[in-house]
Amino acid sequence: MLNILKSTTAALLGAGLGLYATWSALERDAGFEMVQIGPWRSTPKAAFAAADPYTRAALARNAQVPLSPGEGLMFTADIDETGAPLLTRCDYILTSPIPAARFWTLTPMTSKGALAPTGNDRTGLTSAEIVRDSMGRFEIMASAQLRPGNWLALPTEPGFMLALRLYDTPASSLASSMSVGQLPRLRRGRCI
Amino acid sequence: MSDRTLGWFIYLLAVLVVAGLVHIVTILALPHVATRDSYARLATIAQTNRFTPLPSPVPGAELLPMQDPAVVRGVCRYDVNNGPVRVRAEIAGVDGLLTLSFHDRRGASFYATTDRGGVRGRIDVVLLTQNQLEALEALDSEDEPPQELRLLAPTREGFVLIGSLALDPGDFDAARGRLSSISCAQENLRRQ
Repeated sequence: MLNILKSTTAALLGAGLGLYATWSALERDAGFEMVQIGPWRSTPKAAFAAADPYTRAALARNAQVPLSPGEGLMFTADIDETGAPLLTRCDYILTSPIPAARFWTLTPMTSKGALAPTGNDRTGLTSAEIVRDSMGRFEIMASAQLRPGNWLALPTEPGFMLALRLYDTPASSLASSMSVGQLPRLRRGRCI
Repeated sequence: MSDRTLGWFIYLLAVLVVAGLVHIVTILALPHVATRDSYARLATIAQTNRFTPLPSPVPGAELLPMQDPAVVRGVCRYDVNNGPVRVRAEIAGVDGLLTLSFHDRRGASFYATTDRGGVRGRIDVVLLTQNQLEALEALDSEDEPPQELRLLAPTREGFVLIGSLALDPGDFDAARGRLSSISCAQENLRRQ
């Protein structure tokens, strides 16, 4: 009798623990193949059926369709280059370089990865809108307040995330061997 | 070690083994049981074997999460059960980025290209099954090699996501216009 009770509770406890492990793994949204380069992270192979099981399970759950390497590559950042979380009450300065790509876009999102209202109709910046210096370098100011130059309007909620999407890029196949110096710097400016 | 400690040790071990099994099984099963995955969401607005433009993502109402708001999207939900499906994009004279990514029923990508991948001013892809491929090859003439790219569909149903990048907020109409050259239709095998 005691044995039956013991095995039943062991099975129930085990099932609960297993489900919790699955839930927390999916909430953290980190597959085996994710690469972290400075503040930027990417899962270049996420689009393929051969992606690791954690990545595939997370994609099935949140219905995300990642960019295929044949189209482009996406990097996201929810921290600055010192590792501090991105906050909309601060300004952030994003400076070149950016990996070679035919086009790229930079989009602010909520900390959960949803599109966020920015208070104006701009949802982000593209490579065609950026003002560069004579050397082709650029500086983007991400801020919730209007800024001169290349201004990226930030959402109104306290935290945010950036998505950098490179289209038609050779970087798709090189993402796992990229170094910090090949991706934009993300420095924190003034905070209010 | 007393019998009692040994008993607890085995109990703990049993809990962990069950937890591990439940965790692995749920992670692996999730893509097959998820009911709100990308295909299911697209199926709510897109008919099969027809090109359907997707509404622009607006904060709070995104059909698929983590889509680039600078990209105007359309979808071709394919079903090769009753014949091959041809996806075609006229790209001659198209100035700007056009992307096509082919996904199976689980959302995994099996092919992707951009307007740069076009041949003779068009992207022409025929999705089919092994049997349909053999039937089609039997109809091919010797002197005239097929002009289209024939792709075996990994699953009989799936979707092709098409994207057109708007370089700035004033470019959205042009980006939408680039999608008008996309066609998606079931082919009749015994046409000729």
